[in-house]
Amino acid sequence: MDALTVENVVKSFGAIVAVNGVSFTLQNNQILGLLGPNGSGKSTLMKTMVGVITPDSGTITVEGLNVASNPIGVKRIVGFVPESPRLYEFLSGSEYLDFVATVHGLGVEAKRERIPEFLKAFELEGRENELIHGYSQGMKQKLAIIAGMLHKPRILILDEPLNALDPRSARIVKDLIHKLRDDGVPTVFSTHVLEIADAVCDRIVIMYNGKTLAEGTVEELKAKAGTEGSSLEEVFLKLTGTSDTREIVEALTR
Amino acid sequence: MNVRAVYSLAVVLTRSQIRGTRRSKLLARILSEPRIILPVDAGLLLGIGALGYVTVSRMGNDLQSILMPILPKALAGIPSAIMFIAILFGVLYEISQPTQSMNTDLVNWLPLTPMEYVAGSTISESYIYSFVLCLFLGVVLGPALAFGMFRSWLAAAALAVLALFVGAFVVEILDATTNRISSSFYKKSGRSGIIFRLVATVILLIFIQLLFSGYIIDYLLQSIIQAAVFVWFLPIVWPTLAVLSVSQGNFLAFLLFSGASVVFAGTLFAAAAQFRARFWVPVPVSIRLSSGAYRPTKFQLPFLGAAEGALIQKDLRSLTRRREMARFLAIPFVLAISMGISISPLGGGPTSGIYEFFSLELLYAIPVFIFVGAFAMTSIGQEGYAIWNIYAAPIKPSQILRAKTVFAAALGLAFGIALLTIFALMLNPIAANYGILLLIGILIVFESSTIGVWYAARFPDFREMIRSRYVGVWGSLAGMGTAFGAALLTIAPSFTSAYIYGTIRPEFTVATVAIGLLVSLVAAKLALREIAYLFRNIRV
Repeated sequence: MDALTVENVVKSFGAIVAVNGVSFTLQNNQILGLLGPNGSGKSTLMKTMVGVITPDSGTITVEGLNVASNPIGVKRIVGFVPESPRLYEFLSGSEYLDFVATVHGLGVEAKRERIPEFLKAFELEGRENELIHGYSQGMKQKLAIIAGMLHKPRILILDEPLNALDPRSARIVKDLIHKLRDDGVPTVFSTHVLEIADAVCDRIVIMYNGKTLAEGTVEELKAKAGTEGSSLEEVFLKLTGTSDTREIVEALTR
Repeated sequence: MNVRAVYSLAVVLTRSQIRGTRRSKLLARILSEPRIILPVDAGLLLGIGALGYVTVSRMGNDLQSILMPILPKALAGIPSAIMFIAILFGVLYEISQPTQSMNTDLVNWLPLTPMEYVAGSTISESYIYSFVLCLFLGVVLGPALAFGMFRSWLAAAALAVLALFVGAFVVEILDATTNRISSSFYKKSGRSGIIFRLVATVILLIFIQLLFSGYIIDYLLQSIIQAAVFVWFLPIVWPTLAVLSVSQGNFLAFLLFSGASVVFAGTLFAAAAQFRARFWVPVPVSIRLSSGAYRPTKFQLPFLGAAEGALIQKDLRSLTRRREMARFLAIPFVLAISMGISISPLGGGPTSGIYEFFSLELLYAIPVFIFVGAFAMTSIGQEGYAIWNIYAAPIKPSQILRAKTVFAAALGLAFGIALLTIFALMLNPIAANYGILLLIGILIVFESSTIGVWYAARFPDFREMIRSRYVGVWGSLAGMGTAFGAALLTIAPSFTSAYIYGTIRPEFTVATVAIGLLVSLVAAKLALREIAYLFRNIRV
């Protein structure tokens, strides 16, 4: 059974079609990179996978559970980190994690064991009693990532998770994703940093204007774009038709 | 000073304020540019002025002879009133800013000097509140023209403009100093600092609400005008003394006091710039609530699961830690004081009379439904953009309904019992009547909390802005209307019984309970449906 299947998903906001007939699957031993320019529909698609947004048509199943008919069941097994997550700033870091852990059904013992462990790993130990309002963007991002992983999810959906993270924490997240993948927990991962996608992801889906432009391993995509031996950035720019940036740079520096 | 930079900053800050409140699309389009304030000001000044002139000109001599001696005092009071209102509005604006948008980062990285910032900010604030100035000046313009006191009016107008700026400078100084004081205070005091802030904000809001009762404003202004001559050495009365001097034909005194007022305003401006230079803009401070390692919490309430407990605990922290939520805590105090004043004429005798009981029942039901309804209706929207935390969590709509309703109802019950205690202390109690009132209070609390959550889920407003309402305008009106209707329906049987039989018979009490429970049940069903729909369609 696939960990995740996305079948012909369509989602519109008024006249804007954010996601337009996207389909793909994710295996248990994979990290799937979702790439695309700003406004290509990645974040909307990721929210439909968690059941936060209901698609207009199409089907999404997570571990065999239909997201539309069983959103609560899906949310129990998914770990989600949205892009620029907004947290409850009137709570302290530990109060926030305690809240998230409780609504995910973690008991006192599990919370006592897991929360300090994550706080230590992400170097938030000693700051956990401070209100989130005073945290830096990076600290808030770390907290959101911890919140997404606390309940031992069976699949991770991470929208730009490395935003604002320091190199050490970014490394921890990447290593965690790899370790979880090896343990059978797959990840859907969106990023604008193509070097990271190249290094982290087993498969890539490139989205453009709400549609799937290309799908495959990095090597398959290079072959498809006719750019073997070049970087993922060149493949991406060629496939999305935005490779010729010289004129723009010239105009901006004139 | 870069005048163009000051102008641009003033325009941006004005736009930010006038666009930062939720309104209909049409109004949002009309009120999107600062220039709209000018015709509004002109309309208020000239329209009310013309109306006043026509009215006063057509008055009989007897009425004119009453009005004429009051006018110089009214003109003299305007600068003080404007200064007072500018400070009040400025402070209210600061209180109502959402915690998330307190940092005016812009001025940190733009090449602006503190003096330019203070100039831009005070011009913006003065321009926004200029409608109040025009309203006041418009009211006295007509009589001033009719009685030949236009010269005094001109002096009052000029000094009122100056007073508006003085008020804005004071707000700047208060803002800069409190930022600094509160930053150091919170760093040192942690949790107790938050409690202190909450209590101080609630007291301030209660004070402001009570000040807005016309009687107190009138009393204050009369006192200032009467005392101004004796406290001539205080700068805040100089504009008032300058206007009084014109009315008395003492131009030397006018020049002296108005000149001193200008110097005072200039000094405040310089002081505000100095304070800004020293303390600059607010920066988020790290507030440590406790020390020591993390300890898991278990907030378990009877008949509720762990998720509901976690939601209630979070909402309680939201209510007591967010500055913009303090107004909800101020509501019961303001209502209790107002009701206390309202019932005082009923005191002295037993409350067994039918009409006294009717009055008491209404005076009890109205504040209870207002507080619980208003609080419950904001329970979903107050989550703000952080609502995704609930959208993404495995929480069922029924759990959200239970958590939100129980929290609003618990606060409402506490308020209802406190209000009843005030009634019992102020009036001659008859136990049976208070028993009925308590029962009605409990039923209204349940009705209003379920109705409130129903409308909260139907019309949520998640936007985080100044004076956020957390619920759409039409939603809040319809919700309050529904809650009011339900409250009336609930007290109807006891009314009827008291009217027909002179007492409340048991069968009518049963009818009251049945109505209360039925309304609560229906509202809960509707609320559940709305929550389920809302959580399938994220709106932020």
